Amino acid sequence: MCYDFDALLNSVEKPARYTGSEMNAQVKPFASADVTFAFCFPDTYEVAMSHLGMKILYGILNDLPYAVCERVCMPWVDMLSKMKEQNVPLCSLESRTPLKEFDIVGFTLQYEMSYTNILEMLHLGSIPVKAAQRSENDPIVVAGGPCAFNPEPLHQFIDAFMIGDGEDVIVELTDIIRDCRKNGISRRECLKKLASLRGVYVPSLYHDEYNEDGTLKSITPVEDNIPQRVLKCIVTDFENAYVPTHPPVPYVQVVFDRIMLEIMRGCTRGCRFCQAGMLYRPVRERSVDRLVEVARESVENTGYEEISLSSLSSSDYSCISQLAEKLSEELKDKRVSLSLPSLRVDKFVQDTLTHTQKVKKSSLTFAPEAGTQRLRDVINKNVTEEDLSNTLTNAFSNGWNAVKLYFMTGLPTETDEDLLGIAEMAKLAANAYYSVPKQQRVKGLRVTCSASVFVPKPFTPFQWCAQDRPEEVLRKQHMVKDAFRPLKSAAFHYHDSGVSQMEACFAVGDRRLSNVLYRAWELGCLLDGWTEQFHYDLWKQAFDDCGLSIDFYAHRVRDLDEVLPWDHIDAGISKSFLKREYEKALRAETTRDCREGCNGCGLQKLKGVCSGCE
Amino acid sequence: MRMMVVFEKGAQLRFIGHLDLMRTMQRALRRTGLPIKYSNGFNPHIRLSFAVPLSVGVIGLRELMEVPVEDCVTADEFMQRMNAVLPDCLQIRCCKAVEDTFPALMSLVAGADYRITFVKTAEGKKAAQCFSGFMNLTEYVTNRRTKSGENPCDIRPFVLAGKCEEADDGYTIELHTAALKNGMLKPALWFDSLCEYAGCAEVPHLIYRTAILAKSQNGSLIPMEEL
Ligand code: SF4
Repeated sequence: MCYDFDALLNSVEKPARYTGSEMNAQVKPFASADVTFAFCFPDTYEVAMSHLGMKILYGILNDLPYAVCERVCMPWVDMLSKMKEQNVPLCSLESRTPLKEFDIVGFTLQYEMSYTNILEMLHLGSIPVKAAQRSENDPIVVAGGPCAFNPEPLHQFIDAFMIGDGEDVIVELTDIIRDCRKNGISRRECLKKLASLRGVYVPSLYHDEYNEDGTLKSITPVEDNIPQRVLKCIVTDFENAYVPTHPPVPYVQVVFDRIMLEIMRGCTRGCRFCQAGMLYRPVRERSVDRLVEVARESVENTGYEEISLSSLSSSDYSCISQLAEKLSEELKDKRVSLSLPSLRVDKFVQDTLTHTQKVKKSSLTFAPEAGTQRLRDVINKNVTEEDLSNTLTNAFSNGWNAVKLYFMTGLPTETDEDLLGIAEMAKLAANAYYSVPKQQRVKGLRVTCSASVFVPKPFTPFQWCAQDRPEEVLRKQHMVKDAFRPLKSAAFHYHDSGVSQMEACFAVGDRRLSNVLYRAWELGCLLDGWTEQFHYDLWKQAFDDCGLSIDFYAHRVRDLDEVLPWDHIDAGISKSFLKREYEKALRAETTRDCREGCNGCGLQKLKGVCSGCE
Repeated sequence: MRMMVVFEKGAQLRFIGHLDLMRTMQRALRRTGLPIKYSNGFNPHIRLSFAVPLSVGVIGLRELMEVPVEDCVTADEFMQRMNAVLPDCLQIRCCKAVEDTFPALMSLVAGADYRITFVKTAEGKKAAQCFSGFMNLTEYVTNRRTKSGENPCDIRPFVLAGKCEEADDGYTIELHTAALKNGMLKPALWFDSLCEYAGCAEVPHLIYRTAILAKSQNGSLIPMEEL
C-alpha cells in the first residue's frame, strides 16, 4: 500500500471516497493489459458513482479481455491541497496507478461547470494540460458525454472527442489506440486514424477563423480526408445494448445509491429548451421482458435495495403500467423497492400511482417549467393546468402530501405575468390538496417550487437566444419570491445567476473560451459546480485577462445565419428544423409529440435510425 | 436461529464507517439469496447487528456480527456464499449458528485486543522505549472526546496487559483491554497518550483490533467466538 497516500487519508474529510475496493470493482492485472483506460469523472466520487453512463462504459471496457479500465475521480479541496503539498500524483481507485501511466485518459462531460476540474486532474496526474504540449509517451486524452456536442471551449485540452452514444465508439477508439501504441505509430498519426471514426472529433485537425465583429467565420479541417462535419454515434440496437448489471457498489452513500434501469433513451416531446431531448434522439425503448431480466440480474449482482427507472421521460415508455406491474411483481419477494421518477404531469396514470405506492412512496416532482400556458406553448412543454390539477388531486388522495415543482426564469419571450404565474401554479397545487376531503388526505401540505435560470444550449431551438443579464435575473427572482410571501405552505427557491451565466458562456462558447478556462484554472477556480467553491470574481477576471466579453457569449441574441461554434458537429438534427421550431416558439405555436407523427427533425435522413418516421 | 459471524475488515476498508459497513453487509446478504429473516413493517430490513462498532481508521481482524437466519442455513454454506460476493478486503473467517436464546453479542462484550504497529523512525523508537514506563503508571488522565464534549478520562485501567516487540521493520504493541463502566478504550487515544508521554511528535502507525473479548466461565477474557 502506498504509504504517502495512507498518511493523507488520515487527515481528510470522508476518506472512504478515496479507497475503492468496493463490491464489483474490477481489479484486473494492469501490467499485462494490452491497453489501459482511465475513466475520469471530473467531480467527486459521490457524484461519479451516481452516474449511469460511467457504469456502462466501465463495464464495456472491462469486458474486453485485453483492456483494463479504472476509475479516477476529482479529489475534494482538502485532499487536493494535501496531494500538492506532498507531491502525491492523482491515481486510479482500483490499482492506484498514476494517471499518466494509462494509455488513454477519458473524461465524461456532464456539466460545463466541471471543466476546470479536468484541467486540475490532468495536472495532478502529471499530464501536460494542453494537448499541444503532450509528448509521444503521454496518454491520449479523450472526452465524451452531452457537453462534447460543443467541444470547442475544451479544444486545447482534449486530443479527441467522442460525440453521441459512447457504447460502440469507445471500443473502436480504444482498439485503434492499442494498435498504434503497439506498432509505435506517432501520436499525430494515431489522432488522424481516430478522426476517421464515425463520431470522433479531433480538434487539432480543424482551424477556426473569425469575422471582424468577433463572430465565427468558419471551422474547417486543416487536411483532406478529415470530415467537414462529425456525425454523432447512435446505438441502434438499444434492446440488446450493454446494461451494467454488476457495477461497483459504493460503501459511502452517493447521490443515486440504487439500481438505475435505463428503460429508454431519447425523448419525443420536443421541449424547446431541452438539450438532452434533442441530443439523444431518436427515442429507443427496451422491452418489458428484457428490463425485468436485467433488473433481476442487477439485484442479484449488487444487493441494492432500490430500483429506479431512468430515462428522460419515463411515463412516456409505451408499456409503463405493464412494466411497473411486472417489476413490482418480480421485486416484491426480494424486498427491493421500486421508485418511478421524472413522471410527467400529463401521463401520470392512476394505476401507476398505486403500483409505486405498493412498493415505496417516492417523492412527487413535476416540471411545468413555466408559469403560464402561453409561455409553456413557447417552450413546447405540453402540460396544462388541468393536467397538473388532476394529477395532483389524484396523488394527494393517494397519500402524498409533498410536491416539488420545477420552473425556469428568463425563457425567451417571458413577461412578468409569466413569472407571477409560478406562484399561481403553487396555489393551484394547494387547491388540489384542499379539494381532497380531510379524512382522505395526509396532513401537512408542502409545495416546493424551484426555478433555475434559462441557459441557451447548442442543438436546441433556443440556441440563438440570449440569457438574461444578472440584474434582470435577480429582479425576476425577487419578484417571484415576493409573490410567494402570502402562500403559507409553499416555498420558492432559485439558482445563482453567476453560475448560470458561466454555464451559458461555456455551453455556447467558441474556441477562444479555452483561454478563459485555462486562466480561470490558473487563478484557482475549481469544483465550480459546488456553490461554496464558485468564485464569480475570478471568472470575471479570467474573461478580462483574456480580453473577452461575457456579454458577447451569454447575453447576445445570435443571428440565424451566424456560423455557430458547433456547426461542424452533426447531431442528426437539422438546422432548418431548429430554425423552424425557434420561429414557431416566437409565435407561441406548439409542435406535436413526434410519436403522433414525424416532425422531420432531420434524423429521418439517416437510414434505419428512427423508427418513428418510417 | 442466528448466525454468529467472524469477519475481517481489511486495511483498505479501515475508513469505512459503521453504517456504511452495515449497509454493505446487508447488500451482500441479499446477494447470497440465503433465507434471512427480515424485520416486519413498512420497510423490511435485515436485522443485522455488530457486537461493537469499530472506530474509523482501525483495521478489524476478527470482527463480530450476528444475523437472524432460517434454521436450514448451515455455517459453512453461509460463509461460502458470503465470501463469494464480498470483496477480498472484507471476508468472513468463520461462523457459528447459535440458538435464539443465546444472548445478544452486544451484551457479551467485555473487552478487546489491539495491535499497534509503527516504524523505526527516531520518534518511533522513542515511543517504543517509553512503553514500559507508560505501562507502569497507575493512572494516565487525558481528554476523551464524547458526544457531550471533551471529558477527562483515565485510560490506564482499561489496559489489563500489554507488550511491545521489536522486529526488523518496526515495532508491534499488543494490548489486552477490558470494557469498563465508561465504555471501551479508544486505541488511537491510547497511542497518542503514549507518544505524549514519550514526548515525541506524531508517529505514523496502524491499529488493528485483533479480537473482541467476552467473559469466560472462569472469569477470564477470551475471544467471544470461543465461548
Ligand atoms: S425523425 Fe421524426 S419521428 Fe424521428 S425523432 Fe425526428 S421528428 Fe421524431
